Amino acid sequence: MSVRVQPSNTHLVEIRLRPEHADAEGAAALSLLRAQGLTSMIGARVARLYEIKGPISANQVLQATKDLLCDAVTQEHRVVAPAPAPMNGANFWRVEVWLKPTVTDPVGETVRDAIADMSLPRPESVRCALVYLLVGRANKASLEKAVSKTLANPLIHRAVVSEAHP
Amino acid sequence: MSTVLDKSPKELRALGEARHLSLNDAEWAAVQAHFKSIKREPTLAEVETIAQTWSEHCKHKTFTSPIRYTEGKKTRTIKNLFQETIVAATAAVKKPWCLSVFEDNAGVVAFGKKWALAFKAETHNHPSALEPYGGAETGVGGVVRDVLGCGLGAKPVLNTDVFCFGRPDYAGPLPEGAHHPARTLRGVVAGVRDYGNRMGIPTAGGGIWFDDDYRLNPLVFVGTVGILPQWAVSKKVTPGDLIVAVGGRTGRDGLHGATFSSSNLGADAPASAVQIGHAINEKRVLDALLRARDRKLYASVTDCGAGGFSSAIGELGAECGARVRLEDAKLKASDLDSWEIWLSESQERMVLAVPPKNLKALEAVFAAEGCETSVIGEFTRDGRLLVTHHDNTVVDLDMKFLHNGLPRVERTAIWNGPATAKPAGGTEKKLAVALREAIGNLNVCSREWVIRQYDHEVQGGTVIKPLQGVRHDGPGDACVIWPHAATGDMDDFTGFTVAHGLNPDYGRIDPYWMAMACIDEALRNLTCVGGDPSRAALLDNFCWASPEDPKQLGALIRAAEGCRDAAKGFSAPFISGKDSLYNQSKDEKGRELPIPGTLLISAIAPVPDVRKAVTMDFKGPGNSLYLIGRTNDELGGSLYHRVLGRTGGEPPKVQPASALDGFKSLHAAINRSMVLSAHDLSDGGLAVAAAEMGFTGEFGCLLDLDEMPRDPRIFSNETLLFSESPSRILVEVAPEKESAFLRHFGKGAKSAAVRRVGQTTANPILKVLGLDGSSIMEEPLRELKDAWQKTLPAVLG
Repeated sequence: MSVRVQPSNTHLVEIRLRPEHADAEGAAALSLLRAQGLTSMIGARVARLYEIKGPISANQVLQATKDLLCDAVTQEHRVVAPAPAPMNGANFWRVEVWLKPTVTDPVGETVRDAIADMSLPRPESVRCALVYLLVGRANKASLEKAVSKTLANPLIHRAVVSEAHP
Repeated sequence: MSTVLDKSPKELRALGEARHLSLNDAEWAAVQAHFKSIKREPTLAEVETIAQTWSEHCKHKTFTSPIRYTEGKKTRTIKNLFQETIVAATAAVKKPWCLSVFEDNAGVVAFGKKWALAFKAETHNHPSALEPYGGAETGVGGVVRDVLGCGLGAKPVLNTDVFCFGRPDYAGPLPEGAHHPARTLRGVVAGVRDYGNRMGIPTAGGGIWFDDDYRLNPLVFVGTVGILPQWAVSKKVTPGDLIVAVGGRTGRDGLHGATFSSSNLGADAPASAVQIGHAINEKRVLDALLRARDRKLYASVTDCGAGGFSSAIGELGAECGARVRLEDAKLKASDLDSWEIWLSESQERMVLAVPPKNLKALEAVFAAEGCETSVIGEFTRDGRLLVTHHDNTVVDLDMKFLHNGLPRVERTAIWNGPATAKPAGGTEKKLAVALREAIGNLNVCSREWVIRQYDHEVQGGTVIKPLQGVRHDGPGDACVIWPHAATGDMDDFTGFTVAHGLNPDYGRIDPYWMAMACIDEALRNLTCVGGDPSRAALLDNFCWASPEDPKQLGALIRAAEGCRDAAKGFSAPFISGKDSLYNQSKDEKGRELPIPGTLLISAIAPVPDVRKAVTMDFKGPGNSLYLIGRTNDELGGSLYHRVLGRTGGEPPKVQPASALDGFKSLHAAINRSMVLSAHDLSDGGLAVAAAEMGFTGEFGCLLDLDEMPRDPRIFSNETLLFSESPSRILVEVAPEKESAFLRHFGKGAKSAAVRRVGQTTANPILKVLGLDGSSIMEEPLRELKDAWQKTLPAVLG
């Protein structure tokens, strides 16, 4: 689990499986990307990203993360830098797939209500994303194209592809 | 919106295209004439309301408008295809257990003396083509709400799903923006899975058909069965009842869904027509609604489907009138325009008619489930639809014009007769090779990859499951549900079964026989598990290309007439249905690619005692195998011809009278516990059915083709093994029950042909003796099962 503090009381929480657990979603994503010609891709893990906005402190977000969003047995908990660090052509990629703002995010709505049910301040909004942490050689354009054909639907998703630390 | 009254037809067409209104010239002319008569311009919301109400999706214009139909050299006028085929068949068979047909959001049949079953199947094709996950899950959400909005509300106890996709290993080009069929399949399955599983409804029946002509227009049929007390079947709106919206809030999502689905799918499809569903919200609505129903707190209910408030309130108030104040609706965003609030198709919303004295109690019930309610108006007695937003009049329409003002345009249809060419082309294959290819064919192979994603056990009533046999991985004919969790009665062992029939390859030869075969297939499937074929009710779902093409419309008429004749012949009423037209798109070269004319028949029937239901796997060695039904040379459109690459031939032709005799007798035999297993013969005929029964039960069998009840003119082992003659069922009978079974069939099945064709064996091998008595096939079942199981995982990677 990692928590990124954003400006204006916006928090980004990332939940991922512990590395010792097999990641079936990641394996499926890898298979799909390789089928698009990205045969140099050799690894993929999937994480969940929650953007929590509103009158809620970082400590309260951490509490919600531990008690609501993160399974302490199978998922990990660590803090990373506020933004991905560029790797200048290295082999690690981060793909965030968000629902566009005009599309209802039911999981986000449920998390927002559940946080309020924990007697924590009700966030103004919660939006969720899937994060694909990829390992392998690729160029950004070909990865973006493959993502748009497999992991994201441009009609309803906004995909952000960046080089990043694993 | 600019003015409408002074615009030319060309300008109105342009306006319609810009706003995705799908109004034709005659409809625009009717709109102009109406507003000229009342001497004012229509508002934008009024035009949008009319377009939604008059859309193909809502008014089924093709099925209800006159058609000049030419078949061969004869031309006649069909005034109303729906009334003359589907409704006429139901009227002819006159079943007193049909409690509500063609009126409500779902068809309703009696289930015992106290309960009723509501059944509906919907399509969500266009949204699923654009966004497979969201399209499929909102399709499930919509059909669940149909059942919730049927009568005073039914508790969903079963979901079904049937899909038609392009081949997942399709390697050809696709136009810009089209999803690859494999992606569509993955997304659609995930959408059905997530919505059904999260709502706690078992998804336990369905099928998939692969054909590359669906690559741009996938078909997604989703169905729901609900159970409700018989007292809750009828509903009535009374002037003075409050209009109460419950469930999700209204947003800018889902605009133009109704009109969007009434036109060809193209690159300009509106993104707003696609949504992501919220299953948890719908579960809240479900729980609250059923509690409020049982306390009789509301007088009527319907779901907000295509067209949103406009459709729901327009329909509920059609007979009396309605007054709506949009400022009282709960919104997701504050910047919505009036017409957007009125037309939004935001999911998980229902509209209730609530007597004012019950409002507080109703609000308390919904609040207890964390479900929002808002009073947005009341039903009136002035016959008008009046909608305001902060004192501005948004819509002020006469209900009569809105619901009866649609001009009927006569269309032209042509049917030039079936392709009667003799079988031609293709390459001969050894029987064993053909069988392996047939059983591994995409349209036959195991669907376990899909089925395992669904929760088919939730509610604890799935007696016969979609996967059967000693390893729970064989292909069942139908599911059997014992809805004790809904009825609370653990002493009543009455259940029900749902089955399907679909085969567009027969329709390529003759849609009439396709329709007959689909109904036959659905009925024999439910008979195989213990369903009562004399109490079966049917749903029709037609998916076709553009009805503006006379040949397409001619084929559609053939299919509808096949439905009529089969329903009469089997004495099985239609209780509900739906059509989805304009399923065609431009391919990568700009040519129109229509889907094959497709008819899904869904059948539901009671199972008198779920403890006697049977599965399709062989139960032991040394049992006799009986074939019910006669085999003819009917390989046209068959799987065997597909495997060989052959075209032409006679499609299977159903004889309902003898078929029904056989089904009824088998049903009685199952009820008397004479039958160990039963499996219908469909794609791949006897060879595939016997192999499936064998590898699912892990017992072999010996079949003697010379013993088959058949057309005496057949001298070909291939024909006997692979013919897809309808109405046939392979049945396993224990030796000690054999004489009783034969006596039973001798008395009951007057015209059904029944013969012992072989026996089960301990050795797991499918052995077949040909017409000359020699062994023509000896295939290890393990290898056949491998071929059957590996196909779908292999193509999905």
